Amino acid sequence: MTLASISSTPRATLVDRLTGLRVPPVVVLSFLVVALAIAWSLAPGLFTGYDPVSGTPAQKLLGPSAAHWFGTDHLGRDLYARIVYGTASSVASALIAVVIGVVVGGIIGLLAGFFGGWVDTVFARLVDVLLAIPKFLLAVIVVTAIGFDTTNAAIATGVSAVALFARVMRSEVIKTRQATFVESSFLLGGSRWHILWRHVLPNASRSVLPLAVLQFGDSILVIASLAFLGYGDPPPASDWGLLISIGKDYLKWPWLVYAPALVTIATVLSVNRISRWLRKTD
Amino acid sequence: MSKAYFNYAGKRLLQAIVVILLSYVFTFVVVSILPGDPITNVLNNPQNGFTPDEIKEIIAAQGLDKPIPVQLWNAFSGFLTGDLGLSMRTNRPVATLIAEVLPSTLVLASAGLAVALLLAAIIAYGTQFLPQRFGQGLLRGFPSLFLSVPNFVIGLVLIHLFGFQLGVFRVIEPDSFWATLFAAIALGIPISAQIAEVLIANLDHESGQDYATVARGRGLSQMRLFVKHLLKPSSLPVITVVALTIGELLGGSLITETVFGRNGLGSLVQRSVSTQDLPVLQAVVSLAAVVFVVVNLIADLTYPLLDPRVKLLGTQQRRPTTADDSSLPISKAVTP
Repeated sequence: MTLASISSTPRATLVDRLTGLRVPPVVVLSFLVVALAIAWSLAPGLFTGYDPVSGTPAQKLLGPSAAHWFGTDHLGRDLYARIVYGTASSVASALIAVVIGVVVGGIIGLLAGFFGGWVDTVFARLVDVLLAIPKFLLAVIVVTAIGFDTTNAAIATGVSAVALFARVMRSEVIKTRQATFVESSFLLGGSRWHILWRHVLPNASRSVLPLAVLQFGDSILVIASLAFLGYGDPPPASDWGLLISIGKDYLKWPWLVYAPALVTIATVLSVNRISRWLRKTD
Repeated sequence: MSKAYFNYAGKRLLQAIVVILLSYVFTFVVVSILPGDPITNVLNNPQNGFTPDEIKEIIAAQGLDKPIPVQLWNAFSGFLTGDLGLSMRTNRPVATLIAEVLPSTLVLASAGLAVALLLAAIIAYGTQFLPQRFGQGLLRGFPSLFLSVPNFVIGLVLIHLFGFQLGVFRVIEPDSFWATLFAAIALGIPISAQIAEVLIANLDHESGQDYATVARGRGLSQMRLFVKHLLKPSSLPVITVVALTIGELLGGSLITETVFGRNGLGSLVQRSVSTQDLPVLQAVVSLAAVVFVVVNLIADLTYPLLDPRVKLLGTQQRRPTTADDSSLPISKAVTP
């Protein structure tokens, strides 16, 4: 017992130090998966020779093979090609959602936390309202109001994430505002905006980064859910959620559901793993 | 209870009422002011087969020819007196439509919550009894895996495996016991992850406390330590987390009901979205907000009574340094 703890203590610190310097293999793998997803969305043509929209009807509903990695769908289109071409709208739209959430939520939280008083009270009630409406329902009514397409679905997802970022930003700002270096900056005659911009914002945003990454993964899921319900771009678009939704009518050919589902899960899992790692190394 | 508690309860109650009223107004603003005029679009859609006279009649009956603030006031005063208006598509009272499908959703949501709690308990408490290296790491990986799977995928996989391959339930009978159970599993899995994460974090925190070390020093087995000392303090804070997942249960049932073909609140929303039946949407969203706010109010009010460690916000107000969130009565952060 004692021996074990003595010998394990230095080893633990060594491992700690190594993880501090080097990225754990699982995280490397996660970065690779995300990099692949980015590459798919930037240059889908490099990864497949098949056309995602027009297929060969004679080759419909083929199982996975060397020629068609993920098989073909009911119109004889290569499923792998459809997934690769659908990446851009599935992943890039999640980015839009995160940017909206971070920017709008961040500004609300920053102002509420920094100024306090009635500004804080007004924003706090707004955030309470946004939190009271179930996130997914909120996204659904926003996308209903502004129209069904993938960009709007992304905007709706972003709106539903505003409250989260506003809350975290606010509490971080309040924490930072009381730090000694902020007080001393006040005493040195720094203006409110100077302090807000140079001291509070950079410090408070540190804990927003892992959250933003986590939200990126979550947004992929929410946008996929909206696409699944048919609130995204209509076919022949090939958003991952839409692919799964089409595939569910062909459950006899399960790869039509499993292939896009596994790609979605792998991407979100990788993004979440990166977020976890960022939180730990911070 | 102390005076601080009543102060706190009064403040929370007032806040809850304000939030409910504001969320009604917010929803109204979202569905009626944003660009695009879904109402006339739907009415004018030839598929719905309304004549111009009928359209005028519907618009007058719904009060859509009045200015927005007047519309808001009419709808709002109706909401306060329990009148949710008429469905634009079916011309039936929205309250009736909701009452018809509510039982199905309540069954699904409570079964889903039961599944979520059970799974979360198995995962979190399981970590206490498995060897550090292998089993624990596996169990600890579950929550993040569950959070990475879209819940419609879980539903589809369950339907494919148990419905089609094994024939445990028939997809065309979505209200049968087995179909409901599997729908509840699909709904509960992502929610169990959130609860399990908090449980695990609390267990880790508690087992690192001095009293746990002392108990171990006295020679308590892991089993006794867990049952006697760790179980209660680590599980109580979960009440507030469970209350927060109510929203997810309602939102998730929208998808789960679609996947399993159940006729519930979620599929009512789904239908109302595709037909742009705004009064129904407005009512369902506001009701969801009411449920969320009331459940969280109850959780926040009972929690200080159950857990004596909790310091009420009232006792902390003198110290403006705390970055506590106003809606959480707990001085200890319980978020993962």
